[in-house]
Amino acid sequence: MNGAADMGGAGTYGNTEADEAGALDPESASRLLTQTQRQAQRSLDFRSPWLTLIAAAVALIAFGAVWLSVREQHPFKGPTAAALVVLYALVAIRIGTVVYAHRRASAGVSGSSVRQQRAEGVALVAALVAVYLPIVSLAQDGAGHASFYWVYAVTATLIVLGAFWAGRSAVREDWMGLGVSVAVMLVGAVSALAGPRGMWLSDGIGLCVVLLGYTAVEAGLVHAPRSGT
Amino acid sequence: MTADALDPLIHVPARLQIVATLATLPDGDALSFTRLQDMIGLTPGNLITHLRKLEDADYLTSEKTGNGPASRTSVALTRQGRAALDTYAATLRQMLNGL
Repeated sequence: MNGAADMGGAGTYGNTEADEAGALDPESASRLLTQTQRQAQRSLDFRSPWLTLIAAAVALIAFGAVWLSVREQHPFKGPTAAALVVLYALVAIRIGTVVYAHRRASAGVSGSSVRQQRAEGVALVAALVAVYLPIVSLAQDGAGHASFYWVYAVTATLIVLGAFWAGRSAVREDWMGLGVSVAVMLVGAVSALAGPRGMWLSDGIGLCVVLLGYTAVEAGLVHAPRSGT
Repeated sequence: MTADALDPLIHVPARLQIVATLATLPDGDALSFTRLQDMIGLTPGNLITHLRKLEDADYLTSEKTGNGPASRTSVALTRQGRAALDTYAATLRQMLNGL
């Protein structure tokens, strides 16, 4: 064991004997074990109720802004530039918060799960690129309605994200994550039926409700009393 | 059942925290010394001493990568260490149920 370099050479040796002497009774040990495991899980997991709450707000405001811009116009016309700026800016904020939280949670962690997460990231990007490529092909073939592209792009994105997270949750036996992922896929698929204008409102409200529900359950689990060990 | 039935190597606040923290990582993952220190809040010297005791008992492994100031030490719980914590937790449960 040599952690001196990590410490920048600051070898402040504490009184270990004092720690040894501080005997633990079983109840204190049980409390300490539970508390430590809970804190470690929270610290090492990038997901949090706050992050989900931000996602719910982003979904409602971003999709709501686009819906406000398209609700009175011809169904075959796409969203306005201003609405798209709001949409992309909020999506960028959402991605930024997730990346920040993930980096913070995984700082100092190495090993097989890190490699696994990188591979999952590659798979997700490949899946998204694969579903966007047909849009390019259709545009080249002369399919001209902007609304078609938006219905396809938004629906496909939600289904790919939901399917990806559902698979990930199933492997980790995270049944709540699996339920939320399936709900996201359903919101995407059902909203497409609402047409090029109604889709935006349906997606915004649907995702917001699903994510708020998830936040409430998550927060309940975090604060729920748990038995020792 | 008395407290003597508990693994004396783990039944110390600092080492219990170290083992419990490392056990939350998936099998095959390691944690850097600095992150572990940050999570537990021990002084570097104190942490090294406790880690050495756990490593001597084959409860954890450490790996140093790089040289000089850029070097990094990572620690991971061994299968034996994970089993020891499971046994410790089970013994604790039995003791508390017997109270």
